[in-house]
Amino acid sequence: MPPLRLVQNFRGFRAHLATSDLRQVENLEASLARLGLTVAHVDPLQGDRTPDMASLRHDRDVLFIDGDLEPQPWAAPDPIGTLLQAPVIGLVGVEAPSRLKALLSVGATAFLRKPVHGSTVYSALFMGVNEFLRRRHLEIRLQEHERRRWGRRFVIRAVMILTRDGAMDEDRAYETLRRESMKQRLSLEDYCERFVGGGASIPSAETGGLPPGRAAQSK
Amino acid sequence: MLNGALLAFEESAELWDGYRIEPVVADPQGDNRLYAEYVNGFLDEGIRHVVGCYTSSSRKEVIPHFEKRDALLWYPSHYEGFESSSNVVYTGAAPNQHILPLIDYCFSRFGKRVFCVGSNYIWAWENNRIMREGALGCGGAVLAERYYPVGETDFAKVIDEILISRPDFVFNTVIGTSAYTFFREFRAACKARGIRQPAEIPVASCSLSEPELREIGEGALDGHISSSVYFSTIKTAQNAQFIARYADAFPDGPAASADAEASYVAVKLLVMALARAGSDASDAVKAALAGCGIDAPQGHVRIDPENWHAWLTPRIGLSNARGEFDVVFEATETVAPDPYLVNTAPRYASDSKPRNLRVV
Repeated sequence: MPPLRLVQNFRGFRAHLATSDLRQVENLEASLARLGLTVAHVDPLQGDRTPDMASLRHDRDVLFIDGDLEPQPWAAPDPIGTLLQAPVIGLVGVEAPSRLKALLSVGATAFLRKPVHGSTVYSALFMGVNEFLRRRHLEIRLQEHERRRWGRRFVIRAVMILTRDGAMDEDRAYETLRRESMKQRLSLEDYCERFVGGGASIPSAETGGLPPGRAAQSK
Repeated sequence: MLNGALLAFEESAELWDGYRIEPVVADPQGDNRLYAEYVNGFLDEGIRHVVGCYTSSSRKEVIPHFEKRDALLWYPSHYEGFESSSNVVYTGAAPNQHILPLIDYCFSRFGKRVFCVGSNYIWAWENNRIMREGALGCGGAVLAERYYPVGETDFAKVIDEILISRPDFVFNTVIGTSAYTFFREFRAACKARGIRQPAEIPVASCSLSEPELREIGEGALDGHISSSVYFSTIKTAQNAQFIARYADAFPDGPAASADAEASYVAVKLLVMALARAGSDASDAVKAALAGCGIDAPQGHVRIDPENWHAWLTPRIGLSNARGEFDVVFEATETVAPDPYLVNTAPRYASDSKPRNLRVV
């Protein structure tokens, strides 16, 4: 997984401005243009179609959603917030908990108070985009760890096979599997899944005579 | 800075039909709390335009008051950027007009290994960040960044470090008396070791001006690189006139400098915009200012209505023993202000941590 990097220059980003009250965000549009973003207006209450979520890219788009839109066109079922495809910055007018909760639930990672003041935009953009990327990075890592946790059962089975058929203790079996996985540039879990499934073998010198493919027969 | 503004007021006091500008002067003596107090006093009196502030910390202190009362601050100093208030007109250089030309100049002439020494505040931190990005972008290296409290005068340790690491050049963001001490002691330390400092380890700055060279003093004031949009030695008719009038008005100094010129330009633009607007209301003045330009001592200057910063002409100067700068580089035309470095900064912030290892 590539390392997380902080975005500091937003030139070329597309800002989707979802509000029914453009007077409140005049400074926002000018400030975004100054920072090199292009701006598209969306008024869901006037029948404008919201941006196609599938077409949004996290490295190119950013949504500014007015918390005072009623009903919220992006209402999400998850009250603690589910990330959309792109960063969301909430535009806060009425500071009622229900409005803030609505913004949180669509994954807002930064807020701007209405009427928007130009000098606050870069900070909100910087925080909003980078906090979104950080959360996205953590979510992807979490998924990866879940996948590897699920794969640990193959590691246990592979160790058991080697201790039973390869005449080695558990520590040596584990070290052998780890070394072979590194040689093949696979995670330990992926390698062991292949080994248990018969798609990989341990050199006989390592196993004291366990022949190639023996693992599959030993399942 | 004050002298430049007063000279411009003297030249341009008459507005229209008997209306004159009367400058009111206050000196907060570097105390940030006094900046806010004095600004509020001015605004209470009905003054809507204030020229001043040197440090970014003083500017940040007063901006909320200008925004709250819808007045205009005319800020006549080069600064580190990343700001664009609708209630500030910036007539000094933005970072793309001073530090980027300095990076290009130093990396192409001296080499790509730089040692950064600065005063411990936002001016130095931000400029060093931009320097680091510049270095990484061209395969160079920042050997070290060292920060000292404003007013510090003990630089023996960092000078030893510099002499051991032998960078291609030193990037100085130390300010005030600290800077003068650093220049003197660094020159002396090099001399004691037989090192020709200006030729072998030049010091480059974005804030070094003519009055400061005089403060550094004999024996150590020559051979320093400075990036600025104005030097007193610029050969234009407007500058010759400015220098002559400035010398007449302030025979005891300090010498004309980038800060004096930027204040002079700020007041000239203010007067021009007031006259065009026929009002001192900030919206009217800004609307009038959008079309204003003047042939300033440094060359043509106009304000960009997109970000209220100025189009200026970057230059690099090399200080001489007379306490002036010889201009060794000059941009061929005025450069648009880019306070957020939108046109030049890399998409991602630089990361000084090694990326050679990863967990598998």
